[in-house]
Amino acid sequence: MLNVSVMNIVWTVINLLVLYLVFRLFLFKRVDAVLQARRDEIEHAKDSVLEKEREAEKLKEDYSAKLRDADKECEELINKSKQEGYDEYDRIVTEAKDKAEQIIVEARHNAQIEAQKEKDAYVSELTDLVVRAANKIAVSKHDEESDKELYNKFIFEAIEKSK
Amino acid sequence: MDIGGLLKELLLEDKVLIHFDFMNGFFDINRSIVLSWGVIAVLTLLILFLTSNMKVHDISTKQAVAELIVEKLRGITYGMLGDEGLRYRDYMVVVLVFIGASNLVGLFGQTPPTMDLNVTAALSLMSIVLVEAAGIKKKGTRKWLKSFAEPMAIITPMNILELAIRPLSLCMRLFGNIIGATVIMELLKMVVPIIVPAAFSLYFDIFDGLIQAYVFVFLTSLYIKEAVE
Repeated sequence: MLNVSVMNIVWTVINLLVLYLVFRLFLFKRVDAVLQARRDEIEHAKDSVLEKEREAEKLKEDYSAKLRDADKECEELINKSKQEGYDEYDRIVTEAKDKAEQIIVEARHNAQIEAQKEKDAYVSELTDLVVRAANKIAVSKHDEESDKELYNKFIFEAIEKSK
Repeated sequence: MDIGGLLKELLLEDKVLIHFDFMNGFFDINRSIVLSWGVIAVLTLLILFLTSNMKVHDISTKQAVAELIVEKLRGITYGMLGDEGLRYRDYMVVVLVFIGASNLVGLFGQTPPTMDLNVTAALSLMSIVLVEAAGIKKKGTRKWLKSFAEPMAIITPMNILELAIRPLSLCMRLFGNIIGATVIMELLKMVVPIIVPAAFSLYFDIFDGLIQAYVFVFLTSLYIKEAVE
């Protein structure tokens, strides 16, 4: 019952090694290969997802930067057109002011010329009057009375004229 | 009832199946060896069937079963070995399956190969070699030799004795349990020939056989874990 046979022990050892080899080659290796392939796939999928996420993040940043730039540009444009508007306004107002001044100056000048003309006309009329009066005096006989009357008439006419 | 005759037949039967007529029977092959060839053949066919046509996606049921078996068995031995002994878990799975399958041979009316002392001796020999090899691999020869004097120099003889005691206890435990179960089953069959042996067979042939396989692997794993710490 307890007879030990070396050969049988050796056989069992060989049996075990063979079984181990079978398990290793046909079970563990195959299953491990499948599991490893699955793990690799998951890892790969994870990597690509991360990559995509990074890309999306970058795009988002780009777009927000562009948006900021556009805002800035827009503001600049508005400022520029505002500035242009103010400049135009100033220019128009200045021009109008200049024109008005010119008109005033011209008007003043015209008025002066008119006044001079009237003055000249008055002076020439007065001269005529004096000449006529002198003629009348020279023609008519004259005494103190008529002189006085004539003189008054002349003054009166002159006043009347100057009015 | 001829209990003595039964025991004689069971324990003293001629185990030699294939006899070679030279060197006084040195190369004789026991029945247990032939039986374990059968066990190995069945296991190999089963594995080949389960793992044929493996795919990464859309796996078949048999592939799922194969993966489940690998995961579960590795889980069992990993739980016993821990991270340090990770590399030995596959071997422990093989031993677990081999002893378990060998013990279940009783279900088919054969005497289990583990009832032959030569088989259990070979198994425990492999275990102690693996344990010491793991220790040497982990610590290096010098440290491994020093580890015999730990924790105290005075117990060095004990530690050396353990080299022989451990495989002997492994070997005898497995052998004794299986032969005990078989003897009890045979006696039961003699006393009550029907129904009762079937119920007890559940315990002695299936449960006890698997428990003994587990115990053998558990103890070997324990030794490996101790060696690689």
